Amino acid sequence: MSDEARVPLLAMRGITMRFGAVEALVDVDLEVHAHEVVALVGDNGAGKSTLAKMISGVLQPDAGIIEIDGEPVTVPTPQAAAALGVATVFQDLALCENLDVTSNLFLGRELRSRWVRDDGQMEEVARRILRSLSSRIPSVRSPLSTLSKGQRQSVAIARTLIGSPRIVVLDEPTAALSVVQTAEVLTHIEQLRNLGLAVVLISHNMTDVRAVADRIEVLRHGRNNGSLDVATSSYEEVIAAITGAPTEPRPAQHAPLRSSTTAWPA
Amino acid sequence: MSVDMNTTPNLPAGERARVPLSQRLGGLGGNARQYGIFGALVVIILLFQVLTDGKLLLANNVASLFQQNAYVMILAIGMVMVIVAGHIDLSVGSVVAFVGGIVALSMRDLDLPWAVAILIGLAAGALVGAWQGFWVAYIGIPAFIVTLAGMLVFRGLALVLVGETVAGLPPEFISIAGGSLPNVLGFVGNADVVTLVIGAVAFLALAFTQVRARQSMRKHNLHAEPVGVFITKLVLVALGIGALTVILSFSAGGTPIVLVIVGVLVVVYSFLMGRTVFGRHIYAIGGNRAAAALSGVSTKRVDFWIFVNIGVLAAVAAIVTTSRAGAAIAAAGQNYELDAIAACFIGGAAVTGGIGRISGAIVGALIMGVLNMGLSIMAVDPAWQQAIKGLVLLLAVAFDLLNKRRAGTR
Repeated sequence: MSDEARVPLLAMRGITMRFGAVEALVDVDLEVHAHEVVALVGDNGAGKSTLAKMISGVLQPDAGIIEIDGEPVTVPTPQAAAALGVATVFQDLALCENLDVTSNLFLGRELRSRWVRDDGQMEEVARRILRSLSSRIPSVRSPLSTLSKGQRQSVAIARTLIGSPRIVVLDEPTAALSVVQTAEVLTHIEQLRNLGLAVVLISHNMTDVRAVADRIEVLRHGRNNGSLDVATSSYEEVIAAITGAPTEPRPAQHAPLRSSTTAWPA
Repeated sequence: MSVDMNTTPNLPAGERARVPLSQRLGGLGGNARQYGIFGALVVIILLFQVLTDGKLLLANNVASLFQQNAYVMILAIGMVMVIVAGHIDLSVGSVVAFVGGIVALSMRDLDLPWAVAILIGLAAGALVGAWQGFWVAYIGIPAFIVTLAGMLVFRGLALVLVGETVAGLPPEFISIAGGSLPNVLGFVGNADVVTLVIGAVAFLALAFTQVRARQSMRKHNLHAEPVGVFITKLVLVALGIGALTVILSFSAGGTPIVLVIVGVLVVVYSFLMGRTVFGRHIYAIGGNRAAAALSGVSTKRVDFWIFVNIGVLAAVAAIVTTSRAGAAIAAAGQNYELDAIAACFIGGAAVTGGIGRISGAIVGALIMGVLNMGLSIMAVDPAWQQAIKGLVLLLAVAFDLLNKRRAGTR
């Protein structure tokens, strides 16, 4: 599966954003294809979340263009992003603890038959989506308050699949999760790619990034600082791009951690 | 990733095995807390039935239990929606006095027919609600402040409006609170047939909707509760409705009109909260306002309408209260907001919002009502009655909290 000669599903070109005198992003480019997980990495304040918020309609760039499927678009609101097929999992989970899994998946997009909610239909779809993510949530009728943090993250990711999106943005989906929970979330991300979506993964965790991403885009001080192929680049190269330090040749004690299921060449 | 994934998630059989009992009870159409509160009501009724030597459940006492407490139940319906959304309404007592004054004056001084006066009262309630909803939803002032102000404003307006007691109201209006449905079908023995028919229809309608809901779950291949539990539930409901029906049919008037009003409101609002998108959004806002907004719920619109709604319900309570007193007085509705709030919390609503049901609030109101009536029959000093009710409220919420803590959900 080759990226060349295909129109990227999401393309951002020359994105610039200032908050007062602070240049959050300067002339940043980003391309994501279908069936691809692109990790957006960088140190704190590098502009990762700012870039993500532009894709999901929370922020608007001062300059630059966003193209979806080759068409230039504007994304003025989160609703507009949803209409364009962009779904986002925000860093602070946007879920209601008191509602059950199905209600959370469909919140704001409830199915109705005439006056009444179509709870049966929604529950059926919820099960199908969770199954497609290989999620192991005990019941779609469990209130969120009874689920673990990892399971809630599963729900948040499953939420993005309501309304058949093409692009999914995940902002630090594994932050503060246990090892097992992280593994489960990473599995979900692989499933999203297998479903043919373009995935933008923002993360601090290099192990996670190297486990699921096909390509790593490094931001440093709001600028592109390297695009690395996960399969061929070393851990040190990524760290060097993030910190701006020169690469030191060292024994490869951090061998790539890609598992056998992520057999997608970038 | 090679994690020990369960490869067949969400199969009903596995689901049943893994879901804890409390949640499986949740599948019974409420949560375990709901059954607890119904149980508490039954225990309190039986306790006072014994303590009052059987006087509590005398037909006329049961009828007047509803007539005396209709206002709490009506207000509690609106209040539980406000509380679930994470707000509070302290103004309903004053609104009752204000709207009561408007209704009484329209009949006495403007000579309007009582039906028109009622419509004017409902409209006034809606306007009051829209006023408070505007400040809460669109200006963003906490409901506690807005309705505290409303409590003062509308009590003041009630005093202005009803300088002295407005009496001499039409008999049709008076009979709303005190009257009963006319006995058009005669008697069987001493039992009012209209009441028996209403009881039977109510049970059949309930059973029909339950069976329909169960069929729809089956249709969607969902895990419905076991047949045994389902039938037990229906039998218990039949016993409850049957007992109430038979007792009421022997009362002086049969079915009190206010019971019909409350019953219709309970059905309509349970449907609104349980089965509509609007109801779901009220719960979502109470659970996580920011998340609801990010998900596309128009939180301001929902906030606005729940205040309009409680305004209208306060007007209904005002009509019932004025009718019961036979006159409008400026001091009407004192502490009604506290009765309604207490009913909601006894009925399982969460102080933090997001949790609470119409049925719970009604049961909470009934618990308070039975306490009132039982203690009065026993000739307990009103001062002690007040203290006992306060303790019951405290214990109910403490019990709820401890339960949740043990379950580890909060």
